[in-house]
Amino acid sequence: MTKEDQLTIINDAIKQTKTNLKPLGYNLIFWSTVIISMSLFHYFLPQIVQYSYYSSVIYWVSIPLLGMIYTTYYNIKIGIKVGYSTQLDRVIRIIWGVFGLAWIFTVGISLLFNVNPVQDILFLLGIMLTISGIIIKFHNITIGGIGLMIFTMYTYYNPALNLLLVNVIGISFGMLIPGLALYFQKEDE
Amino acid sequence: MNKEIEKLLFNPIRLKTISFLMTVETCNFKALIDITASTKGNLSVQLKKLNQAGLIKIEKYFQKSYPTTDYSITIKGKKSFEEFYKQLMSLK
Repeated sequence: MTKEDQLTIINDAIKQTKTNLKPLGYNLIFWSTVIISMSLFHYFLPQIVQYSYYSSVIYWVSIPLLGMIYTTYYNIKIGIKVGYSTQLDRVIRIIWGVFGLAWIFTVGISLLFNVNPVQDILFLLGIMLTISGIIIKFHNITIGGIGLMIFTMYTYYNPALNLLLVNVIGISFGMLIPGLALYFQKEDE
Repeated sequence: MNKEIEKLLFNPIRLKTISFLMTVETCNFKALIDITASTKGNLSVQLKKLNQAGLIKIEKYFQKSYPTTDYSITIKGKKSFEEFYKQLMSLK
């Protein structure tokens, strides 16, 4: 085996490492769909969700927790199927793990002080999307994240806005559309 | 550079394995078969040699009652590969 052959082997092996971004796109679509559906259901049928104070808390905590369990299972399954984990995969896992913890913390604080956590969560989500977009070099996600942060800041100055509709608009443009773009992007992009 | 390491990486399967492990955090046996296009038996032998030389780490565990093995490169493996690659580039 010549030195050139050895270099070719090394280059070929390195080229075979691909970070599959489709699962991240799937996660974004899944969460967007869940949050948008929940917000719309709450908006059109408040008599069901707000039957009591605790019913809306249970509604907004239990469904996302079930979603977290499902996405954790899905991501583990995908990891096993691919067979390897890159450094980029690890960074993405850490970012969204931190977001999950921050979400639990924010919801806990909002329950303690009886405040609505929607804007705080949306702003945090905007930051996470922006970081993810920059790291994976996918501009649609970066733009979606920045847009979501700006939109959330705008809502702070307009307290009359319905936060459920804010959720729907913010998540649709900041997460669902970029998530779809990532999921359906061509492999060689 | 250590002649023993150089000799070890002269084998194409071992070189492919080390090169691939340089770019990932962990990798399972099935993925390594695909990457190296090698047979199970041959790959097992080559992985054992890399492990004995301290270049890779092998972690065995059970996943849903099935035995699973993960492979990752060690610090020694990274240093050896970098040295080997530098040497290759200087001879080019």
